[in-house]
Amino acid sequence: MDRAEAEIRESRFLIRRPEVTGYVGDVACRLLASHCRDVRAYVVRTPLFNASMAPNGMMQVWTGLLLRCRDEAQFAAIVGHEMGHYLRRHGIERWRDVRSKADVSAFLTLGLGAAGLGVVGMMTQLALVASIFAFTRDQEREADVVGLNLVAGAGYPPVAAAEVWEQLIAELEASTAEQSVNVFFATHPAPEERLGSLRALAAGRGDAQGDRGRERYRSRLAAIRPMLLRDEVALRQYGRSEVVLDLLLRDAPDDGLLWFAKGEIYRLRADAGDAERALAAYESALAGLGAPPETHRSIGMVQLRAGRPEAARQAFERYLALKPDASDREAIRALLTR
Amino acid sequence: MHLRRCLPLVLLVLAGCAPYTLVRPERQTVGGVLSVQPGTMWNRVTVPAFAGKIEVWTLDGTVLNFLMFFTGTADGEPLFTRRGEPGGRSGAERLPVFRSTMNPLEIEELFKDTLARNLGSPIVETRGLRAVTLGGGPGFHFETRAVGRDEVERSGVVTGAIRGGRLYAAWFQGARLHYFERYLPEFDRLVGSAQLVGEAAR
Repeated sequence: MDRAEAEIRESRFLIRRPEVTGYVGDVACRLLASHCRDVRAYVVRTPLFNASMAPNGMMQVWTGLLLRCRDEAQFAAIVGHEMGHYLRRHGIERWRDVRSKADVSAFLTLGLGAAGLGVVGMMTQLALVASIFAFTRDQEREADVVGLNLVAGAGYPPVAAAEVWEQLIAELEASTAEQSVNVFFATHPAPEERLGSLRALAAGRGDAQGDRGRERYRSRLAAIRPMLLRDEVALRQYGRSEVVLDLLLRDAPDDGLLWFAKGEIYRLRADAGDAERALAAYESALAGLGAPPETHRSIGMVQLRAGRPEAARQAFERYLALKPDASDREAIRALLTR
Repeated sequence: MHLRRCLPLVLLVLAGCAPYTLVRPERQTVGGVLSVQPGTMWNRVTVPAFAGKIEVWTLDGTVLNFLMFFTGTADGEPLFTRRGEPGGRSGAERLPVFRSTMNPLEIEELFKDTLARNLGSPIVETRGLRAVTLGGGPGFHFETRAVGRDEVERSGVVTGAIRGGRLYAAWFQGARLHYFERYLPEFDRLVGSAQLVGEAAR
């Protein structure tokens, strides 16, 4: 386990921005209070939904999870659940299992990486990592109860945990046709069943109000949000991403970055009607706050494809005016003179 | 489940089933469509880890560097897939595919997202897209940078062109330390010597 932590510390996938890792650590501390010093938080750049807490206090949070939480309360709910496993020492019972699986995982990564089979290696490793921390159904329930108590004790609304599950179920439904791997779902109880018990637990506590921390969550993660969205779009899981972005847009309907990402989903999917959907999303992005200069570049690409060269030219010109040092400047000029 | 799915691949690697054949420094026709003049001895990988309308060469082994030729990717086809990947991907999570109407900006994007998916890594970048000449006609060129799950940073260059609605290209990638830069001049010479032949010339 210590070796795994040493590897993660050196990893190129580790997010090293102190404002981000510091924030994740702060949320963990708010939940744990006296155990705070035991926890070391690592944010790993992987656009999938997962978090884990090892028996030695190493907490991993993947960027796909950060993107999907709508506020600090939801994020705290997931962290609280993982803390539940940690406090109840669930991981220790599986320690021997961990050792043997970790060795297999290292072997696979090496062998398949060497063969250039990156994604198989990655997914295999993820499945193993997840199975290392896969707990029994009773342990999951116990972690839910402990997590909920931590969350409520720290002043967050206990209903946040149920909300996260509800969002994940909506996403899962949008991807029924997709053969995607979600290690979290693969190792946790059936999501609908979980949602029901989380709702019941929250209702039982009665204290529905609490600190949502929506603005704090947004501002502390602002530096990595463009990256989180880029990584999500690059997955090309159009249906799932659309569900995620629509949820986030509900809270921030004038967020230019979110609208831009939504436009990208449609532009890249390029099904019938997607060109117009993309253009509408880009327009919302520009009407909102924080649309990146690339919005104009993408409008140019859609217009070009739609056979409207003059509109494309204007959009590309705007992009180059906003980003005069763009590395594709020459290629865009060449495209416009074709 | 995933472990089980990969076992055949692991066995393949263990059995040493990735043999090479020598490519001499004399004019070669790749996939019947790309004629190139290598300046040094290469190795053709006969069972590459990836599948598609591709051919893979290497100098020091594919972990350290490789040259992937795209020998006529057709409309609707992905650039390349992982060998043994379950077929019939459809719906919302399909692998991005080549469209014969794509412009160089879209090709660059297609490469970036295909690499991210096939390497299983979000750390993939492309930059420096520019117009070049390939085989006497218009083409494009850009750089790639990727960090695989093995934590190795690799640099790459892509030069290609679309002819008759099909994609012809060469992508050289190597470990950023030493194995990329050392052979970059060889790649430039090789691509400079490229001619489109056979159905690519029609």
